[in-house]
Amino acid sequence: MSFDPSQLFAYAPMLLLVVMGCVILLAETFATARSRAGLAWLGVAGCVGSIALLVSQWGDAATPVTHFQGMLVVDRMSLYLDAAFATAALLTLLFAPPYLREQGFEFGEFYALVLFGAAGMMMVVHAANFVSLLIGIETMSLAAYVLTGSWRRSLKSAEGAIKYFLMGAFATGFLVYGMAMIYGTTGGELSYAGIAGKVGSAAKTPLFYLGEYFILIALAFKVAAVPFHMWAPDTYEGAPTPVTGFMAAGVKAAAFGGIVRLMGEAFGNPILVYDSTGWASILSVLAALTMTLGNLAALRQENIKRLLAYSSVAHAGYLLIGVVAAGLGVQSAKPAVLFYLVGYTFTTLGAFGVVAWIGSRKDERLLVDDWAGLGAARPAVALAMTLFLLSLGGVPPTGGFFGKFYLFKAAMESPQLTWLVVVGVLNSVVSVYYYLRIAVAMYFKDATRPLSPIDSPSMRAGLLITAVAVVVLGLFPSTFVDWAGPASAIAAR
Amino acid sequence: MGVLGWITLLPLFGAGLVMLVPREEESIHRGLGLATSIATFLVSLLLLVNFDSAQPGFQMEINKTWIEPLGIHFHLGVDGISLWLVLLTTFLVPVTLLSPQAIGIRNIRVREFTVAMLVLETGMIGAFLALDMFVFYVFWELMLIPMYFIIGIWGGDRRLYAAIKFVIYTLVGSLLMLVAILYLYVQFKAATGSFSFDYAELSHLTLPYVPQLLCFGAFALAFAIKVPIFPLHTWLPDAHVEAPTGGSVILAGVLLKFGTYGFLRFALPMFPLAAAACAPLIVLLSVVGIIYGALMAYVQDDAKKLVAYSSVSHLGFVVLGIMSMTAPGVQGALYQMLAHGISTGGLFLGVGLLYDRRHTRRLADFGGLWAKTPIFAACFLVIVLASVGLPGLCGFIGEFMVLIGTFTADKVWREVGMHNFFPAPKLVGGIAASAVILAAMYLLTMYQKTFFGPLDKPENRDPHVRDLHGREKWVFGIVIAAALFMGLFPQTFLSRSDKSVEAFLTGYRDRLHDAQKDPEAPTHVFPALAAKTAPAPTPAGGTP
Repeated sequence: MSFDPSQLFAYAPMLLLVVMGCVILLAETFATARSRAGLAWLGVAGCVGSIALLVSQWGDAATPVTHFQGMLVVDRMSLYLDAAFATAALLTLLFAPPYLREQGFEFGEFYALVLFGAAGMMMVVHAANFVSLLIGIETMSLAAYVLTGSWRRSLKSAEGAIKYFLMGAFATGFLVYGMAMIYGTTGGELSYAGIAGKVGSAAKTPLFYLGEYFILIALAFKVAAVPFHMWAPDTYEGAPTPVTGFMAAGVKAAAFGGIVRLMGEAFGNPILVYDSTGWASILSVLAALTMTLGNLAALRQENIKRLLAYSSVAHAGYLLIGVVAAGLGVQSAKPAVLFYLVGYTFTTLGAFGVVAWIGSRKDERLLVDDWAGLGAARPAVALAMTLFLLSLGGVPPTGGFFGKFYLFKAAMESPQLTWLVVVGVLNSVVSVYYYLRIAVAMYFKDATRPLSPIDSPSMRAGLLITAVAVVVLGLFPSTFVDWAGPASAIAAR
Repeated sequence: MGVLGWITLLPLFGAGLVMLVPREEESIHRGLGLATSIATFLVSLLLLVNFDSAQPGFQMEINKTWIEPLGIHFHLGVDGISLWLVLLTTFLVPVTLLSPQAIGIRNIRVREFTVAMLVLETGMIGAFLALDMFVFYVFWELMLIPMYFIIGIWGGDRRLYAAIKFVIYTLVGSLLMLVAILYLYVQFKAATGSFSFDYAELSHLTLPYVPQLLCFGAFALAFAIKVPIFPLHTWLPDAHVEAPTGGSVILAGVLLKFGTYGFLRFALPMFPLAAAACAPLIVLLSVVGIIYGALMAYVQDDAKKLVAYSSVSHLGFVVLGIMSMTAPGVQGALYQMLAHGISTGGLFLGVGLLYDRRHTRRLADFGGLWAKTPIFAACFLVIVLASVGLPGLCGFIGEFMVLIGTFTADKVWREVGMHNFFPAPKLVGGIAASAVILAAMYLLTMYQKTFFGPLDKPENRDPHVRDLHGREKWVFGIVIAAALFMGLFPQTFLSRSDKSVEAFLTGYRDRLHDAQKDPEAPTHVFPALAAKTAPAPTPAGGTP
């Protein structure tokens, strides 16, 4: 049991983000108001470097390799999601600086926290052991708590942060407690592979199931699945808008990456999935509830950030369908979830980017009606927002559409899930209704007051990147589908 | 890229070009839009030139790999059924863009309107040509968004409500259809081990009865909403009335045809057993729709609503013709689809012109306009008569053939087991035929209230109420020429579609017979009911 430093190279993309974060922290102490703007660009450079490293690792990751005595693993899934996290951090660093300057609370630690958060997300999807999973989740969450509360003058920001923190602390409690139970019932196993090996005997004890469900509850908190979603609307509304995008895209994707690996590698044994107490049936019910309640609640929202918060709850429901399908042995379900997450990352970041773009210090324009006349005043941004909305609603030709299509296709391969797909598509209809409410405001209503957006070049660049990505993912998804994994396998059972 | 690829994507390129032109240059937007759509029409004439009418199958196919990991191909092809519908589309879009009233009375944002129309055109053409279910679905949804904006931005007072209603209705149907498509895909994979969304391959799949019924239900729901078949029609009057003239023309002229086209292309050939089982219900609803639409049209005071309800009635004929399962019936249905596109497109253009002149659509506000606008009155008369079904104009042939098809459907209906519900197709045909008389009543009443009588309302004497001038003459001239041509030379159209229609019918019947040989297969949605009404199950024999 010795520490082999050379294995660190396998995690260079993650470590680069951490190092860059530390550099930013140091530089912040010397920064003036003017030079602070450069700190974000340091972060952007870190993200770009991280993505470049990920690309260089891609070829070697065809077969999973574990490091540090099975604590962490590098495989295609983790690299795929890592790239999504690095991109999410990059886009956040494009959207955040002008927003922070406009609202008057720019500080360098903010950018460092974004990078730390992204590094934590990467840890979550690399984790092959409960300990590294816990470390990853906590790193990611602590960054997210602080970022949520970073707008000190705003009461809502503080409220969101405290709610998020308390709920998150509860979730961590469940997580650790669940891990302890599993540790106890499996005779001292913490690694996914070890647990999977002991399932046969351990699954006879109810305590093992209790531990499994506790861990599921904790992760359901993180992805904001009903009924553990209560924190999401307040936190999403209160957090500074670029942070909301970062959380909605990154934290959710990381938690789903963690769920997919955990459920597949530690709890993938059919006796845990299929039995009457199996997690497949529990998660299917959870998925149906999450989609339906998320969408129904979103119908009533007037505040765009809350609307998008509930919509992100609903998206967690769609994604859970994929998790269940993966558990039931559909081989294309995992790639479908990964593709969906990438599409969702770009779409959500873009949508929150527009929300950040439109408001000024005096006039935040967070109500749906505040967006009246945007289509006539700023056609390009309105077009981008329309694309994001269509993508969220799952309408072609967008990445969100193909993601949903791919996900539902995977779920259909398991005959037990047809009902869930029908629930999913009906939910999509509901969701299109409220997404189009924003389009209605933008295009069908006349402006009530002049627009004063934060019109910075970096924001425009961010919106351009996300909009183009959404269309490319919708029209030419082949490459991304290939990267996500085999799509053509037939249902195993 | 092939002719089909060009036709499909040309409008999209045009839309891109229009978007690049600065906002103020409205005449350039109009010109570019018109030029693109005319170019598309001219290219689509190549279809006619290259089309081999002796061949029943798909022609001029292009088949390119699109999304390889899922076996999705960009597969387009044209046959006798889709040929004329594509031409109808490429014909109606330039006519609409030529009309000065297309945008409606809120004459704003010409650029966006042109872009929306061109994107819509790509969606429509693509959906008619698509031979891959995924491609079909993408184009099908692609039509939805521009139409939503056309109704929502340029529509009337209740445009928000109408636009949302249109989208939600359509989406409910199309998303359930997507589930059915995915189901077929998975079943195909289970049956053959390979994976494909290709129409031809998926339609070879024979599903067991219950899944077939469910899939047919999903497809039929999507198409029935689009047609619309009573009682799923309620979005239509709203959408039509609120949409700007151009939107109404395209909506009635082309979009509604996707419902009936979908039945012909997908719902019936792919699920013959379920289709046969549901046929009585569909026939019943179509006849109810024919009469109901006509009666509703008769009591409307709003000219646009009247025309909208007349669409419900006319499209009922199309569905009836298809479900008659006879060659003249299906041919007539196809013809009626084209004729309805021309005549109802013309009616909406006329009503749009009236609204432009008078800012009202209430029939009570008009009267005596013949004296003020003689040329328009004459043109409108021709279009009204075409819609009524006067021999020599386009509307007559389609309705006539549908009725012939229904009257002669005895044998076919016995084969598909419909005689239990409708012992006499002639009765069904008779009821439907009465709607022709109703059509004459409501349309001629509308005409009479508008153009005849004394010119007694001061607003109608206003100098604003001008006769046709400039481009308007061209618009109506072209529409009337098309209506006349279709009425006088039906063989031009029918001779190119009859092989495909024949192939459709024999294919359907053969597959139905094969399926009925399976002793497990019930032929009715309600087997118990069928057993009661039919003492001896009819053998599936007889020469097809």
